[in-house]
Amino acid sequence: MSYGKRDEDTGEIGLFYHLDKTTVLQEARVFNDSPINARKCRLLLTKIIYLLYLGEPFNTKEATELFFNVTKLFQSKDTSLRQMMYLVIKELSDIAEDVIMVTQSLMKDIQAKQETSYRANAIRALCQITDPSMIQGIERILKAAIVDKTPSVSSAALVSSYHLFAVAKDVVRRWANEVQEAVHVKSSSGGLSSMSNYMTSLGGAQNQTQVVISTSNITQYHALGLLYLIRQHDRMAITKLIQSFAGNKSSGLLGGGGNSILKNSPAVCLLIRYACKVMEEDPSTTRRMYELLEAFLRHKSDMVNYEAARAICEMNDVSAKELYPAISVLQLFLSSPKPTLRFAAIRTLNKLAMSKPNAVSPCNLDMENLITDQNRSIATFAITTLLKTGNEASVDRLMKQISGFMSEITDEFKVIVVEAIRSLCLKFPAKQGVMLTFLSGILRDEGGYDFKRAVVEAIFDLVKYITDSRDTALAHLCEFIEDCEFTKLSVRILHVLGVEGPKTATPTKFIRYIYNRVILENSIVRAAAVSALAKFGVNVEDTSVKKSVRILLTRCLDDVDDEVRDRATLYLSLMDNDDCAKRYIKDDSTYAFPTLERQLVEYINNTNASVQPFDIHNVPKISKAQEEEERRRARTQEISSMPSLAVPSQQHPRTPGTPATPDSLGPASPAIGSSYDQQQVYAEQLAAIPEFASFGPLFKSSGKPIELTESETEYVVHCIKHTYNEHIVFQFNCTNTLNDQLLEDVVMMMQPDIDDCGLEQVASISSAKLEYNVTGVLYLAFQKLAADFPIATFTNTLKFVVKDCDPTTGEPDEEGYEDEYQVEDIDVLTGDYIQPTYISNFAEVWEQLAETEALETFALEKDKAPSLKAACNSIIDLLGMQALEDSALPKSNTVHTLILSGMFIGGIKVLARSRMTFSPATGVAFELAVRSEDENVSQIVLGAIA
Amino acid sequence: MASIIQSLLEWLRSLFFKTEMELTLVGLQNSGKTTLVNVIASGQFIEDSIPTVGFNMRKVTKGSVTLKLWDIGGQPRFRSMWERYCRGVNAIVFVVDAADHDKIDAARTELKSLLEKPQLSNIPVLVLGNKNDLPTALNVDELIDILNLKTITNREVSCYSISAKNQVNIDITLQWLIKKGKGQK
Repeated sequence: MSYGKRDEDTGEIGLFYHLDKTTVLQEARVFNDSPINARKCRLLLTKIIYLLYLGEPFNTKEATELFFNVTKLFQSKDTSLRQMMYLVIKELSDIAEDVIMVTQSLMKDIQAKQETSYRANAIRALCQITDPSMIQGIERILKAAIVDKTPSVSSAALVSSYHLFAVAKDVVRRWANEVQEAVHVKSSSGGLSSMSNYMTSLGGAQNQTQVVISTSNITQYHALGLLYLIRQHDRMAITKLIQSFAGNKSSGLLGGGGNSILKNSPAVCLLIRYACKVMEEDPSTTRRMYELLEAFLRHKSDMVNYEAARAICEMNDVSAKELYPAISVLQLFLSSPKPTLRFAAIRTLNKLAMSKPNAVSPCNLDMENLITDQNRSIATFAITTLLKTGNEASVDRLMKQISGFMSEITDEFKVIVVEAIRSLCLKFPAKQGVMLTFLSGILRDEGGYDFKRAVVEAIFDLVKYITDSRDTALAHLCEFIEDCEFTKLSVRILHVLGVEGPKTATPTKFIRYIYNRVILENSIVRAAAVSALAKFGVNVEDTSVKKSVRILLTRCLDDVDDEVRDRATLYLSLMDNDDCAKRYIKDDSTYAFPTLERQLVEYINNTNASVQPFDIHNVPKISKAQEEEERRRARTQEISSMPSLAVPSQQHPRTPGTPATPDSLGPASPAIGSSYDQQQVYAEQLAAIPEFASFGPLFKSSGKPIELTESETEYVVHCIKHTYNEHIVFQFNCTNTLNDQLLEDVVMMMQPDIDDCGLEQVASISSAKLEYNVTGVLYLAFQKLAADFPIATFTNTLKFVVKDCDPTTGEPDEEGYEDEYQVEDIDVLTGDYIQPTYISNFAEVWEQLAETEALETFALEKDKAPSLKAACNSIIDLLGMQALEDSALPKSNTVHTLILSGMFIGGIKVLARSRMTFSPATGVAFELAVRSEDENVSQIVLGAIA
Repeated sequence: MASIIQSLLEWLRSLFFKTEMELTLVGLQNSGKTTLVNVIASGQFIEDSIPTVGFNMRKVTKGSVTLKLWDIGGQPRFRSMWERYCRGVNAIVFVVDAADHDKIDAARTELKSLLEKPQLSNIPVLVLGNKNDLPTALNVDELIDILNLKTITNREVSCYSISAKNQVNIDITLQWLIKKGKGQK
């Protein structure tokens, strides 16, 4: 039975073909034989494992019976039988009862004096069968195993502890010293490898005790992971950990962290990831961490170089100068003989090119070579990156090359290519001719729904943003629906035809295509086509067109489908009545979809729903353009894959996907990304609180929770501000980090700095009980008294009753005492009344709003703003607006223009432009101009800076 | 060289005369099961104060007999599993702490319910009153009385008073056990 020879296929039909659970369970009697036939038993165990891995269900009784039979095998000393046993024990441990029965035996195996190869396996099995109440009992053994000198034993203990951490945090935390020691383990590779040689030569003679000692130092990787897990909430400790393991910085010249303790490359990669997390949480460490990353770029392992380069590329607000060394490393990888390195490098560059094409363009030459790479994935990434970094002149050549291999790549990569071309169209409108030809070409190719959708959406963008291409693009779409297998796409195209068609010079051309659909398609598409036709009837001024549309719609009255007939009837009568037509067809407002969805879900869950009609007036109306923008914003966020703040445990109630109803009035909404962001989560939580029900829709929630305490204090408090039209709600997330205390009647007292600040407290929601390590939420609501936008600072005190309790059982004492705890102040700023919004045409809107400009000049001292970037960040923070066109990252060190866009409470559009200069002597001086739809608002926003 | 020949001879002899027998040791916690196994195996008294979590398996060769000893934990959570390890063995050894008067009632109940299991009928039982070195320990007759051993009629039952610590009566216990092994053959 040589495992080496069998490949997967023959394995399936060979030895274990037609394996039957009942027979195997019966055969399990051989485990009780005396003496034990190790070979036979091992084969049977293999069969059991095979069945388990195939997913054969074992019920509890069968599994328990089998498990206890297997335990009889502990009398045999056969190594390979033992190892197989552990495997079976691990697999059965979830199904069988009383698996702790083998604890003692496994402990004996782990502590075996002689160097047996199954000690590591025993550790893994032991941790799998143990239950939280017994971890204390095996603690001593695990601690010893962690610092064991055999790498496999140490690794097994570390990995097992990692898994145990989830169930027994406090116990595993006590092992930190041992884990630390395991990272430092002396890996005198010379000594060990000679020893492993000795062991293997010995093993040849003595099969039973063959031990192969690994020299990869992978133990460091496992130990580092566990150490991080233990300390992850202590940012200071993590920073220290990273710096101590990253090695001496001055060694940079000698080959980058050459004398670091970490010898294992995956461990170093892990370290880099932790460094990134620290940077993300605490921007003040960026400088130090960047230096570490930069040193790792010169590490001797490719893996580490790449990880560091990627980390640098993904840093927030990284400057071109900081990027440079990382890019050169990646550039080197582009010409590596290893396809994995080429792939990794090009993928990272591709992602970077989305936000910083200029930084990537030095690699253009290397990337052009990759277009002909044998690996199609690499070639695709190369081309799409080039499309982003290239200039207008190179587009034609690239497009030609893409057409060459489109047929050779999979749908997923085709989608990537299409996305790249889509953004290219918007970047170089002059090239739309080439692009459109290309897009319409691939639209005719074979492909799945996702691919076709990407192409169609790209064409939609062309129609929308590049007026010159509209007629041709629409013509291509018409052609496509002639032979389109996807109903969803047909419906969407018909909708766009209805919206855009009437604006073209020759609307009649499209009417023919649309009517063809009415004749030939299924009822869903027919209904959509009827709606599209009606739009022509209403929006085209030509009376002859109106007349023919009327004739066509009249014919639709005979359709076999109800929906089609209903729509035709509706539209016919709408065409007769201009007023109605204006209200229902020409109307360009729509409902805020995320809010609408949430309210509908609430309505459906409400038991009174069958009696009361749904009240649509509560749903805010927004313009279609706004809705479009919202979706665009969501998409850009998706593409740049911003770290999602959404709490994973927060499941959104989701209505079951409605089948494609013939409703083409609203565009079939694609992934409603925007509704899934953090604000929506908050909105749902707040909406569940009856006190806040009357506040109306949530306008804005402050982004990152504001820390009101140090992270290592007794009670950790974070604050989130929620702004409503007339109210402000403060949400406090409080965590009690003392395991010997139980807090009751927790309430937050907020005191404004001035008495008549214009805010009056209307509600306070306290938390009845705050247990150890459970986060409780407190709310305070304030009402704005005047139609003003008050600014205030609050001092905050947490009041509660403390009850001491037993740290292990959590039993509280009867008697408690009152106590209070002061946390840091909270400011209500003008920025809280502004929502960051994205607009694509800043210059245009800026000109439109010229009349309401408010303008002032400011100076920031040097210590407040050491660079233009710092100044940008503080302006963005203060105003709470969205920076546009990458202007948050100054390209020059001395002059910069920052442009911002936002929405003031009440839906007033606000734009700001800040022209700034920096001189090392005086600091930053800037002129801030604010324009909005309301002059007062411009002044208020400007006032936020002063 | 001589020792090699000797061991070779030993091995050859064992091929012909070897008997292997399985024993299961049960009893309440802290009655001295693991200690007894250690005494039988190595002849040494080890103050082993760690409770057995699950079971211990020891193989001991005494002369031509190999004893397979299953030493099962006595804590309440393991008692339901005693039966599984008693099935098909040559003898069940029930160890009682003769000096712990408080737990003697519990020991009687556990013994009774174990012997009521149909799967275990006819398996000989040896009851050992351990810790007879302590002054308060019950003697054999008291044990037989208090555990109602006389009422057990459907199988062979013996009772000895032993001390694992002072190695009192260990020899007669072993004799009894080995006799059971040979009697089977």
